[in-house]
Amino acid sequence: MASSEVKKKRKAVTRDVDSGPAIVSGDEPGFAQLDGTLAGSDDSEIGDNDDSIFDVGSTDESSEPVEDLSDDGGRDSVGSSDDGLSKGSIDQKAKIAQPVDIEVETTALSGEDPDDEEEDDRPNFRVQKDANGNDRYIYDEIDPDDNSELDELGPEENTIGNIPLSYYDHFPHIGYNINGKKIMRPAKGAALDALLDSMEIPKGWTGLTDPSTGKPLELNEEELNLLKKVQMNEIPEDGYDPYEPTVEYFTSKTEIMPLSAAPEPKRRFIPSKHEAKRVMKIVRAIREGRILPYKSPEEGGEDDADVQNYDIWANEKARPEHIMHVPAPKLPPPGFDESYHPPPEYLPDKGEKKAWEDADIEDREKEYLPTDHASLRKVPGYDNFVKEKFERCLDLYLAPRVRRSKLNIDPESLLPKLPSPEELRPFPTTCGIIYRGHKGRVRSLSVDPSGLWLASGGDDGTVRVWQLDTGRQIWSVSLSSDEAVNVVRWRPGKDAFILAVAVGDHVYLCVPPICDPDLEGASLEVLDAGWGYSSSTSTTKLPLTWTRPSNKLSDNGVHALISLGHTAKTVSFHRRGDYFVTVCPAPSTPSSSAIAIHTLSKHLTQYPFRRRLKGGGPPQTAHFHPSKPILFVANQRSIRAYDLSRQSLLKILQPGARWISSFDIHPTSSAISGSDNLIAGSYDRRLLWHDLDLSPRPYKTLRYHQKAIRAVKFHPSGQYPLFADASDDGTVQVFHGEVVADMMSNARIVPLKVLKGHKVVGDLGVLDIDWHPVEPWIVSAGGDGTCRLWR
Amino acid sequence: MAETGGPQTQVRLQLTTRDRKLALPESLGPILVPSSLRRYALSTLVNNLLGTEKPIPLEFLINGSYLRTSVDDYLTAYGFSAETTLAVEYVRALVPPTHVASFEHDDWVSSVDVLSSSPSNARGDDNGHERILSSCFDGYLRIWNSSSQVLATSPSPSDGGHTSSVTSSKFLSPTKLVSSGLDRTVRVWKYRADGAEASGKVAPQLELYGHRGSVNSIAVHGHSNRILSASADHSVGVWSTSKSHAPEAPGNLLPSASARGSKRRKLDQSVTVPQRGPLSLLEAHTEAVSEAIFDSKEPTVGYSASWDHTVRTWDLVTSALVDTRTTSNALLSLTQLPELHLLAAGSSGKDVKLIDPRDAATTVSAMTLRGHYNAVVSLAKDPESEYGLISGSHDGTCRVWDVRSKRGGKDGMVGESIYTIERESAKGKGRIMAGEGVKVFGVCWDKALGIVSASEDKRVQINRGSGIVSQRSQTAA
Repeated sequence: MASSEVKKKRKAVTRDVDSGPAIVSGDEPGFAQLDGTLAGSDDSEIGDNDDSIFDVGSTDESSEPVEDLSDDGGRDSVGSSDDGLSKGSIDQKAKIAQPVDIEVETTALSGEDPDDEEEDDRPNFRVQKDANGNDRYIYDEIDPDDNSELDELGPEENTIGNIPLSYYDHFPHIGYNINGKKIMRPAKGAALDALLDSMEIPKGWTGLTDPSTGKPLELNEEELNLLKKVQMNEIPEDGYDPYEPTVEYFTSKTEIMPLSAAPEPKRRFIPSKHEAKRVMKIVRAIREGRILPYKSPEEGGEDDADVQNYDIWANEKARPEHIMHVPAPKLPPPGFDESYHPPPEYLPDKGEKKAWEDADIEDREKEYLPTDHASLRKVPGYDNFVKEKFERCLDLYLAPRVRRSKLNIDPESLLPKLPSPEELRPFPTTCGIIYRGHKGRVRSLSVDPSGLWLASGGDDGTVRVWQLDTGRQIWSVSLSSDEAVNVVRWRPGKDAFILAVAVGDHVYLCVPPICDPDLEGASLEVLDAGWGYSSSTSTTKLPLTWTRPSNKLSDNGVHALISLGHTAKTVSFHRRGDYFVTVCPAPSTPSSSAIAIHTLSKHLTQYPFRRRLKGGGPPQTAHFHPSKPILFVANQRSIRAYDLSRQSLLKILQPGARWISSFDIHPTSSAISGSDNLIAGSYDRRLLWHDLDLSPRPYKTLRYHQKAIRAVKFHPSGQYPLFADASDDGTVQVFHGEVVADMMSNARIVPLKVLKGHKVVGDLGVLDIDWHPVEPWIVSAGGDGTCRLWR
Repeated sequence: MAETGGPQTQVRLQLTTRDRKLALPESLGPILVPSSLRRYALSTLVNNLLGTEKPIPLEFLINGSYLRTSVDDYLTAYGFSAETTLAVEYVRALVPPTHVASFEHDDWVSSVDVLSSSPSNARGDDNGHERILSSCFDGYLRIWNSSSQVLATSPSPSDGGHTSSVTSSKFLSPTKLVSSGLDRTVRVWKYRADGAEASGKVAPQLELYGHRGSVNSIAVHGHSNRILSASADHSVGVWSTSKSHAPEAPGNLLPSASARGSKRRKLDQSVTVPQRGPLSLLEAHTEAVSEAIFDSKEPTVGYSASWDHTVRTWDLVTSALVDTRTTSNALLSLTQLPELHLLAAGSSGKDVKLIDPRDAATTVSAMTLRGHYNAVVSLAKDPESEYGLISGSHDGTCRVWDVRSKRGGKDGMVGESIYTIERESAKGKGRIMAGEGVKVFGVCWDKALGIVSASEDKRVQINRGSGIVSQRSQTAA
C-alpha cells in the first residue's frame, strides 16, 4: 500500500510539472517530455522500495547531501531536482528544489483527493435516526477498485508484461499504457547527448541500458560496493574476514626431553634381510625372463589375412508374407498346473491320477498330468517331444491350408423384427374344455354361428352337438354304422340352425332339436322350401335329387339327404348360407362330378366342372370367397379362383406344396387392403400365405410342424387377426396374421402359440380346427377321440 | 447371524388392525421385536398386549401379503432393510376349509344353493335345518339335508319337470324353489316338507317362457318375488313368481307351438302347469348373458355379466340400461361385494375381475384375482366377511380370496388366493388338463354349512367355511 502511494505521488509530481512548467521555471520546449521519462524510470525502480514519502521528506529536509544517495527518496529528489536545473552546485539546487517539489506534491494530492488526510481521522460512517428513533450507522460505499491489482499500475505504466523489449525494436513505441495508448520510445539523439554531456554523471550511472526496461541502468550503493570488491579480487561475500587470527590446535614448540629413555632398536638402522630376499627373487625372475615387462596389446592383431568374413544379412529386405502363410495359433498362456512345481491344490490326487491313466488318450481332458518336481533341474526330458514334432511337421506338410474369412454377422440382426406375442393378446393359450364321447377319431367339427354349440363328427358315424361352455353333449345322432362322418359344417347366418354332415356317399342336413321353437321352425322352412322345386321347374334331367331321410332319422332332427354317390371330404358354405360346395377327392370319382354346388333353397345340385383341373391330380377342397362371387378350388398342387358370375378362371396360385390339404381365405382382407389373402396347408408340412395380388407364389412359407398339416383356418370375425393350423404331430399352432390397409406393406405374420394336448393316435394328431365366431377361442378335433376348446 | 447367539436383529413393527375389538391402544407406537419371530410368536405378543383372556389366533398382513415365514425371512424375501418400520396389519386367523362331506349324484351337478338356518338369511327358515338344493344335468332338482339324504326330487319331464339339463336353481323361500334349464324355461316349484324329516315333495308351480336360448343362471329376490334370469339369447329376463302378476306366455315359444312333432313333445303331460311370460326382457348384450344378479341393497337394480365382455347395470323398474363396463374377456359369472361397492366377475381369461359399477369409478377393473388355470364360472361371497370371496372354476378347484391380500401388478392390483379347495374325487391326481371330469360348475357359501360346490364329478362337496376369511370389522360395536 505504501509503495503504491509513493507511486501515485511521484506520478502526480510529474504530471503537475507537465501542466505547470512555470513553477519549475522551464526553459526548453522538450523539457516536460524529458522530465516525464525520467520520472517514469524512477517509478519503475521505486516500485521495489518500501520507503514512504514521509521518510523521503524527512531525509531531504534534514539537508543531507544529495550525493549520499542513502535511499531512493534521495535519488528521486535528485531526479526531480534535476528537472529544473541546467548547471550549478547540486547541493544548492537540491535545497532549493526540495521545497518546491513538496509543494507540488501537496497540490497534486489536493487535486486528486483533497479529503484524503482528513478522512482518515473522521469516522467512516454517518449517524442517522431510523424509523424507531434509534441510531443508524450509514457507511459510505466502498469503492471496490481500491484494492484491485489493476489499479496499482499507473496510467503511464507499460502493460506489455514480462517480455523482452527487443520485440518493440521496430516500432516507435515500447508498449502500451493502461489506457491502451502507445508509450513512445524515450527520446535519443543529439538533444539528449547534449544534456548528458552538460550534466555531472550521477553516482551509479553506468551508461548501459537495462534490457528489460529500455531505460538507463543505474546501480545502487550495494551493487557498486559489490563491483568494487570484485574488481579488487576480494571475496565479494559480506562479512568475510581474510585476516582472521590463527588458532593453534597443535603446539609448535619442540619438546627437549624425550618421552622414553630407551635406546633406538637395531632394526632402525640395519637393512632388512627379508626384503632383500624378496627383491632378489624378483630380480632373478626378471633376469631369467620369467617376468616380462608389460606391453600394451596391439589392435587388429588377431585379424587373419586369409579369412574373409561376409555379412550375408547386410542387404536383406523384409519379404511380404506368403498368401498361404497361416500364423500359428496363439496358445493360451500356461497355467499353474503346467508348472514344474505346481501349488499343491493343482496336483491330482490318487483317484484323479488313476482316472487319467485309465482314460483313453483321446478322452483325456488334459494331455499331461500336473507333476511336482523339487527343482527345474530334476524335470525329466519330455517323452513325446520327437513324436510331437514329427506330427506337427506332418500336419504342416499334409494339411491343405485354406484361409477362410469369417463373416462377422450378428445372427440377431438377420431376424426380422417381430413384436413379442405378449403384445398381440388375446389369442388362445390353454385348453379350456375337453369334449369326450366319440369312439374313434373325431374327423371334423364346427362351432355354430351363435358360438354356443359345437358340432363334431367322427369315425363312429355319429354327429354330436356339445354345449360349448360346459363340455356337455346335448344331442347326437348316429348316421352310419360303418362309415365315418367326414365333415360337419354349420350353415352360416343366425336366421337358421342347420348342420350339414357328410357321411360316406351322403350329405345330411340336420336341424338339431336344441334351439328354440321359432328358430327351429325357421330352419325347417329353409330346408323344406326346396321340396318339389326340382320336379316342378326343371325340364332337364337332374343329376341327382334330394330325398327325405327315414322317419327315425327325421325324428332325430335329420331332415334332408343328398346322395352324391361318392365320398365328399369337404363341405363349405357360401357366406349367405344358400349354397354349399362339396368336393369328392377320391381318384375314382369322375372328374365331372367331383365338385358339386348345392342350392339349399331349390334342393338343386350342380356340377360346375366338366373336366378335371389341369395338373395336380383330383380336386381336394373348395371354398367360396367370403364376400365376392368367387369360388376357390384346390387340387393337389394349385389353387384356382373362378369368377362365378362370368364363369371364367381368374387366377391360378402355385403354392409350391406337393399336396394341399386345406386352405382358407382371409375374411376381411379384400375389404381392408383390396387384395385377397389366403392360407394353404399342405401334407408336406408347409403352411403357405398367399397374397393374391402379389404373386402366384406364396408370400410366406411357414414350416413349423413335424408332420402333415390337416387344416388351416382364419378367425372368421375379422376382429382378431388370428389364424391357426392343425397338424398330425398333435399340435395346433396359432399365428398372428394382420393384413394392413397400407398397400405398400405386406401382411405381418407372427407365430404366437403352439397348443399341445392332443395325443397322436395312429399317426393322426389334430384333424380339424374351427374358430369361435366371436371370441379368440379355437376348437380342435383330435385323432384321440376328443375335441378341445382352447382359450 | 441371529442364531449364533449374538444380539438378535430387531425390527420395528407398527401394528394396526381394522377390527375395532382387537385394536391396540393408540398410544402404542412402533414396537421392537426380534426378527426371528413367526406368526405364532407375533400372535402371542399381540394377545399379551391386548390382555385377552382367551388368546385369539391372529394372522399378520405385511404389505398386502400374509406372513407365512419368520419376519426375518420376509425381510430377506422382499429386500427390506431391518431398520425400516414395517406396517403390519393383523386380522383374526383363518382356518383352512377342510372337507366335510360329498353328496353323490347321478349326473353332473350344475349348481347348488343352500337354505340356511341362520337368522341372518333374508329368506328365513322354519325348522332350523339347512337344506341344500342341487340342480343336475340330468334335469332333476334335489333337496338334501346336511346329512346327505335326498329329501325331495323334482318330477320327471313327463310330470312337469325340466326337459333338459337344469342350469341353475335357487331357494326363493323355504317353500319355493326356482330353477332354470337348458330347455329355455324358468320354473317355479313348491317344496313341501312332509311331516317326517326325511322326505318332502317338489311340485311344479309355474313355468316361465320367454327366452330363446338356454337360461344360464337365475337370481331371486325373495321379498319382491322377482327373478332375474340370464340367457344365451343375449337377454336378461325379469320375472315374477306370482301367477297373477306375470303376463301371458308368448305362444310361439311354448313347446306346443312347434309344428313338427318330436320325441320330447310326444311325452304326454300328465300335469298341466300354468305358463307365464316375462315381466320384461332386457336386451342390450351382444352375446350370451352368463349371470344376472340383484343388487343386494337395492332390489330394483340388477347387474348382468355377458360373453360380450361387459358388465351392465340395469334399472329393473324401467328396464333401462344404466351403465356398461367393458373388460377384456368373456365374463362367465358375477357376484357382488356390497360393502366394498364392487362387483366380482369371473372371466374366461382365468381370472376374477373386481369392477366398481358406480359412475364415479374411473377404471373399469379395480383389481384382478389371479390363480385359476381355467375359466371362472361361479362366484359367491363370504357371508361372514365383507372381503371374502369364493370362486369355482373349470380347472376343478374352488379358491378363497381375501381382497385385502393384494399387490401391485403391471396392470393394476392383483390378488392371490388364500386357499384352494380341490375336489375330493381328484385328490392327489395333480393338475388335470382342462379340469376334465372335475370342472366346478357352481359354488355357494353358507354361513352355517360352509362352502358348497357342485361339479362335473357328480358330487356336491361341502367344505368348512366359517372363519376362513377374517371377520368384518366391527364398526357397529
